Order: sequence, then C-alpha cells, then structure tokens
Amino acid sequence: MNLAGWALAELGVVFAVGSGVITLLYLLRMRRRQVVVPFAALWDQVTRESESRRLWRKLRRLFSWLVQLLLLALVCLALGDPRPEVWLRDPATTAIVIDTSASMAAAADEDGNTRLTLALERARAEVEALGPADHALIIAAGSEVSVPAPITGEAGTLLRALEEDVAAGPGEADLSRALLLARNALSGRSSPRILVLTDGALDGPALDAVGRCTARGQLEGEARCEVFEIGAEHEVGNVAITAFAARRYPSNHDKVEVLVEVQNLGEQPARFELRVTADGLPVGGKQLELAPGARAREVLPKLEAARERLVAELIALPNDRESAESLGPKIDDRAYAVIPPLDPMEVVLVTDGTNLFLEAALLTLDDYVRLTTLTPSEGDPSNPAIETANVVFYDIADNPLPDPLPDTNLVIFDPHRLDKTPVPVAKLKDLVSPRLSEQKKDHPLLEGVVFKDVNMHSGDSFDIDPGDVALVSHLGDPIVVLREAEHGMLLIGFDLRSSDLPLRTAFPLLVANAVDYFGMREAGFVAAIPIGASRDLALADFGVPGMDVSLLEVTPPDLDPDDDEAPEPQRVRAQDGRFRMRALIPGVYTIAVQDGDAEGSVVEVAVNQANAAASNLESRLDEATVPEASRAGEPPDPAPLSEGPLWTLIMLIAVTLIAIEWATYHRRKTV
Amino acid sequence: MALGQRIGRGRRQQKTKQVDRSDLFDEEFLRQLELLQVIARRLIRGRQRAERKTRKVGSGLEFADHREYSPGDDIRNVDWGVYARLGQTLVRLFEEDEDLPLRLVVDVSDSMLTKDGQKLIYAQKIAAALAYVGLAGLDRVGLTAFSAKVHETIPAIRGKGRIFRVFEFLKNTQIGGPTDIYGGCKRVAAQSSQPGVTVVLSDFYDLEGAFDGLNMLRFRKHEVVAIQVLDPIEANPVDTGLRGDVTLVDVEGDDTRDVTLSASLLESYAEAHERFCTHLANKCRSRGMPFFSASIDEPFDDLVLRIFRLGGVLR
Repeated sequence: MNLAGWALAELGVVFAVGSGVITLLYLLRMRRRQVVVPFAALWDQVTRESESRRLWRKLRRLFSWLVQLLLLALVCLALGDPRPEVWLRDPATTAIVIDTSASMAAAADEDGNTRLTLALERARAEVEALGPADHALIIAAGSEVSVPAPITGEAGTLLRALEEDVAAGPGEADLSRALLLARNALSGRSSPRILVLTDGALDGPALDAVGRCTARGQLEGEARCEVFEIGAEHEVGNVAITAFAARRYPSNHDKVEVLVEVQNLGEQPARFELRVTADGLPVGGKQLELAPGARAREVLPKLEAARERLVAELIALPNDRESAESLGPKIDDRAYAVIPPLDPMEVVLVTDGTNLFLEAALLTLDDYVRLTTLTPSEGDPSNPAIETANVVFYDIADNPLPDPLPDTNLVIFDPHRLDKTPVPVAKLKDLVSPRLSEQKKDHPLLEGVVFKDVNMHSGDSFDIDPGDVALVSHLGDPIVVLREAEHGMLLIGFDLRSSDLPLRTAFPLLVANAVDYFGMREAGFVAAIPIGASRDLALADFGVPGMDVSLLEVTPPDLDPDDDEAPEPQRVRAQDGRFRMRALIPGVYTIAVQDGDAEGSVVEVAVNQANAAASNLESRLDEATVPEASRAGEPPDPAPLSEGPLWTLIMLIAVTLIAIEWATYHRRKTV
Repeated sequence: MALGQRIGRGRRQQKTKQVDRSDLFDEEFLRQLELLQVIARRLIRGRQRAERKTRKVGSGLEFADHREYSPGDDIRNVDWGVYARLGQTLVRLFEEDEDLPLRLVVDVSDSMLTKDGQKLIYAQKIAAALAYVGLAGLDRVGLTAFSAKVHETIPAIRGKGRIFRVFEFLKNTQIGGPTDIYGGCKRVAAQSSQPGVTVVLSDFYDLEGAFDGLNMLRFRKHEVVAIQVLDPIEANPVDTGLRGDVTLVDVEGDDTRDVTLSASLLESYAEAHERFCTHLANKCRSRGMPFFSASIDEPFDDLVLRIFRLGGVLR
C-alpha cells in the first residue's frame, strides 16, 4: 500500500493537531449539564441504585473519544490517498484465450469439475486481479473462435461473459486463429499478455500455434504468452464414435446396414453398449469391450429402419460405474447418420438369348435393378452400358468372353467353356456330373441358397489363388469361386443350360444375392461431415446436380424437439456447385436448394465430431511447445479494489461511522 | 421544550423569587370566587348550619346540659322546674356560639417555585378561594406563608370585605427558602391561641418533616387538612426526554449529584415519587387528616369543590 496524496509526515502533523483539538472539544463536551430538581432527596434514593454502572459510563466516554480519533484517522488516511501496489504498476492488457474444445468437457478432478470449469475459475481469478487501469478480453477457442468479451476494464462485463458465453463445444480448438486474434487485439497496448487456458489435448495446428505464441512471447516487445494447463494430472477415460454411416440394401430398402467406428482413447479397458436408434426407437445395438487404445469397426447388418435418420450412442452399462467413467465426455458418445437415397443398380446381362431363366430372375428385381440385355457381340467393355454398369452377367454359351474383361463386377457362367478365356482364375480340371458337395453357407452370396441335389451334366473346377473364396465345391474342387479385387468376380463353373439349377428356388436367390453383394460393394457409406466453422462442400456429394445453384438454405438441427420454436434457417451462397457450411453442432442439417434447375431439392446431411484427435483427452503439450518459463503460475491474488480511488471508500466509512455515532448519541448509547 | 425547562431552568433562576404574581387575583378570578362561593355554600348548607360552633358550653341559646349549682353561678340559670320536682338545685348549661378560625398555611419554599412558580400560584389560588368562602361564611380566616426562611402571618380576620387583604398578603408575601414543614407547622401551632381548621398547602417535598409537621398540628387539637400540590412533570419525568450525563442540583440547597439519566432511572424516580405520595396520604388519612392531591393541570375551582364535597373544611 502506498500513499499517493499527502506524505506520512504531513498526515502525522494533521493527526496530532486534530486529535488535540478533538480532545479539547471532547473535554468541553464532557461538562455536565446542570438540571435543577425540586426533590433532591428522592433523587438520592433512586440514583444510589445505579452507582454500579459508573464504570461502564466511563468506558462509554472513552469509547466516544476513541470514535472521534478514529474518524480523524480515517480522514487523514483519505488525505493520503492510499493505493495498493497493483494500482501503481503500468496498466496491463490480458487476452484470456480459453480452449472450448470437446476435450474441455472432460472431468478434471475427483469433485466432478470439468476442465472448462477450472479454466473459468482461473479466468475469473485473472479478472478479479485486474487493477483499475488494467484491461482484458476473453477469446473462446472452439471449432469457431468467438469473443465473449471485448477489451474492457469492467470486471463485471468480463465475469458475466465468462458466466454466460463460454461453454465447451464439439470439435477441436482453433487456437491458430484465436491466438492470432489475441495478438492483433493486443497490438499497441502496454504490457500485453496472452494467457492460454487449455488442457493440452490439441491437434497439430493448435500445438504449432501455441508453440509459436510462447516462442514469440520470449522476445522483447512481443506480448508475453503464458499457458495454463488444466487437468493434465487427472487421468480420465474416453470412448468416442469416430465414424458412423448407414446405407440401404439394394434389394431391400426397408433394411439398412450401419457402420460404426468406436475408439477407446483412455488408459483403461472400456465396457459399454453401442445402440443405434431411429426416431428414438432402438433398431440395433451391441455390447462392446475395448482395450486401451483399441479401435473397433462394427457393421450392424440388416437393421430395420424405414426412416432416413439414425443416431448412434454409447451408453454405459447399467450399475457399472467404471463403464460410465470409461466413456468420458458425452459430446463424442453420440453421432448422427443420414441414410442416402439408393439409385437403381445398373445391371447388364450379356446373353445369347438361349437361357431365359437368368433374364427372368433379374427381371424380378426390377424395383431396384435397371436391366440392360446385350448380345455377346455387344458385350465388349467399350459398350457404354457396360462402362456404367454395376454388375455384368455373362451367360454367352459358346461365344467368347471379351478380352479384356470389363472393369466392373462380373458374374460369369461356365468361363472355361472355350480354351482361350480372359478369366484370371485358371481351370483346375473338367468335371463330369459333378455333385455340389460343399458350400460356404455363411457367405452373403449364398444366404438362403441350397445347392443340395442340384444336377448337372458337366462342369469345371477352378485353380484358386490365396484370397479367392470357394463358395461351392465338388469333393473339394471349387466349382463356384469368388475373387475379390478392385471389383468382384463371381465364377460359376458350369453352364446353366446343362443343369437343373434354374429350376430350383436357389437360383433366383443366388442371382439376387449376387446383385446385392456387388451392389453393396459399389454403394459406399456416405460419411458424415465433420464439425467446422466453414466446411467446403460440393452439392454433387449430396446427389444434387447444381452447378447453376447460387443460393441454399441450411437449417441446423433442432436441439430441442419439444420446443415449438423451429431453428432459424441460414442462407448460404453457392458457386460452381460448391458452398461453405457453418456446422458447429452435431446433428442432421437440412439443405434446401433455392434456385437453379434443382430448385426445391432438399437433402439432409449429418454432422458429427467423428474425430479421434478431438476426442483424445491426453495433453500433447511438452517442454518444446511450452517451456517452463511460459507456464502460468498460481492464480493471482484478487485486487483489493478494482475500481475507484480508495479514499472515497475511506470517507464513506467515516461518514457511516459519524452516522452511527450520531444515532447512538441521540439514543444515549454513547456520550 | 428544552430539557432544562421541564424540571428546572437553572438553579439561580429558580431561587430568585421572580414569580410573577401581579395578575394573580384579577377580575376574572374574583368572578370565579363568587361563583365558587355560591356553589360551596349550597353544598355546605345541605349538610349543616352556616356558622361554626365550639364544643364549649356557655352563654348560647341552645340547651346543652345540667350541673350542680355552685356558688357564683348566675342565679338566672337555675332550673326551677327541676328544683320543684326533684328538690335539687341544678343550673342549665347552654352551648356557646363561637366562630372557630380557618387557618390557611401556604408553603412558599423554593420547591414550590419551579416552572415559574406554577405550584405556588396554584396553591395561592386555592388558599384565596378557601379564604373567600370562609370570609363569606363569617368565619375567621387567618393565613400563614412559610418556609425555612419565611414565616409571615395574617391574624384571623372576618368579613367578606377583607378578602382584598388576603389577596394583598398572598401577592406580597416573601417567597423562597428551603422547605421546612415541621418548623412551619410548629410556629403556626404556637401562634394559634385557639385551634381550628388548618389547611396546609404544600408539595410536601420533605421526606422527614412532612408528616411530623401535620401530626404536630393535630396533636395541638387542629383539624388538619393536607392539600398536596404537584407538578405532573416533576412527579413523572419519564417523558421529558431528559437523558444522558447531568448534574442534578437541588433547588433548595447546594447539594449536587452527577448522574446519568436514562429511561429506567426516570421510571425508578417516578415510582419512588408515587410511593412517597401514597405513603404520606395513607398516614394522614389513618390519623383522620383529610389529604388531597392536586395536580396543577387540574382547574383550581374543581379542586376546591372536591374539597367541599368531602366536607370538614367549612361547616
């Protein structure tokens, strides 16, 4: 505490003189008033009883005198204009950068405080330590950088912003932009300082930005950069959904196949339930157990889901505390998927027209198959129909197969009828009246297909390579083979015309399974969009042919479906079929095309955090990034008074004291 | 009102005898007395005859008793009828008509002079009223003003026309000095050759001598009537607002006492004052002495009528 007004010696003189005057006036005041009474003898009787209180009366007089001296001392102190040390230093400006990424929602201590809670506590301590000339601003660095409180010296504004406008969100902290913003804001200000409050669970760009900040902070004239690391000492588990997608089966639009990727980012094994819901109703699920660091890709086949929106959730096992703790922050335990529309598959049948069974089997799939029939002479890979086909069936009897074979999924019957064949799987031997003695029942291609008792005149077995799948065999010789490469190739080593397979129920099932199988290979999962403040997207990715589209309307997900208030759509400009979308909330966004040929088209897009790096709670700050000198120390002590001269407060105390003394005097409590 | 004015403005001021008594008995007062006299006589007549009588036998007209004849008795008083019937020589005795004096004794000590002498003025008005009624009833009326320093007396006078002498006495008598009820009563008793009705008007602020003085008069065959004149503020100073450290100065002496006045202390004083007055009244009444307590807030004529209603002062 320093005196900015009168010097201590001057104040001493004033106090000495003042106390002398007060004492003199007090002695004068202590002269008793004389009151004449007519019956003194009676007064003697009653006053004798109060003699015992004489000591207290003396003390009251002394107390009153001391109050006067205290008043004088307060006035002298006010004249001295006392100021705390913190007020006398140069005014400083502090940019408080708070990491609001998903990892900040993780528990930071045993009391259940999150990392963000501790960061806010530290930020509050910094604000409360500001001197009257100091300023600060608050920058929240999440997926998007925001400034809850601009540069101000008003602690109330800063504290209110910390209370109301800073919350952890999904995604990574964009510290690069946040620190750049902080540095620009502090430019030209005295004693600039950047305080980064983070848990250190950052991605590469953010780590680089912190490293640059601390390195520049060591330079003369640059803003000092300090990092306060939160929650590093508290081990916490986390399991995140890092991918989630769904697609329909080509042959059955009421069923979907779901792909979920889950990763255990914690140090302990994790047990939990993976649950998939559509409109709040569970449609599938699985209990999983993951070792530390393990990642599981789970495919949940044939889920009943007529709706187009799916939600995957990680749920702790009932009454299992460890299970709940291992899941970590909930922000990455939930993911969304939109089931993409399924276009009909392009199927080409190359046939000599002698086998109508195959064409009939394909025609039964006309709801989801667009069938093109070609003659053997038209079955060349250069044929446009074959170039765009998803699956090509070759049933051409004695006609040669095209060489090379088309670069697509193929189903070829009796490929080794002719000696010269482009089929890459060699013939093993000729078979006479083969019996289909073994079949790989669990393969999707053979689901529901029974080759038992199928008769045929002759056939060929294949000399398969490692990786080839022998689906059906004759006494160990593969007669139906699947080769998986960039495209699939199903080889059936006999001619349909020389067997009774087309007459059996297994035949149309085999054809449908082949179309489904190759269709599922082609129709990939549509990945969700990762969270980001400005994602560059192409309309074509969502099936909208919109090179001429210039205006879109993007409606964010409705976070509270029970609320009648619908989310406000945002208008977004598009150019050359591309647009930028602000996707900061996980969920399903609706994109409506406002102009162009595709005007009126509406597509839905799922936005997920789906980022293992964002879900990783482990600090990546090291000595190289943040040297010891750049680590923030203990929180500063609160400033005694953040605003206003202290002497006004002292005078306020003095006036209050006078009021109390006046009131007590008139009630005869003091003298 | 200033605190000091409630009980006493200052010792010097109170002891200067500067009580303004010039307008004490004006025309209005005389009219009040005339009216009072009429009302009072009506009250008295309803009870007894107007004149006062002694209990002595003598030369009156009303037969009282017989006694043996003694040499020297007036032979005209011999009851010859009794002698004729019984042969005894008895003389007839008659009650003697004699006017007994009404003595009004007014305390003029310093304690009666507080608050501009309002208690003294009140006491003097009562005394004047009683004197007027007495003189109008052909009673002999004497007055005495007393304190430890003052003792002035008007010998018994008779006749309504003498009322102005009473007024002059009351207006001009010396005032002041400590209270000395016993001494005052003692001198009244000594000066009175004939005991009569003695009305003592005082605040009786004398712990020891108040009752002793009255009792001494009674012992000397006086029919004593005590009228205590009180100032309600003095009797109960709780509401005066007087608080804090003060020096209490006795109006009648140099005694001082430093006290801290508080509400509780003032309440204690009021209770002690009440006890004192009650005790004095009870002692007087127990010995057949009528005791009246008069507040200066009460109109004096109301008090006088109250006294006459009770009886004993005039017959």
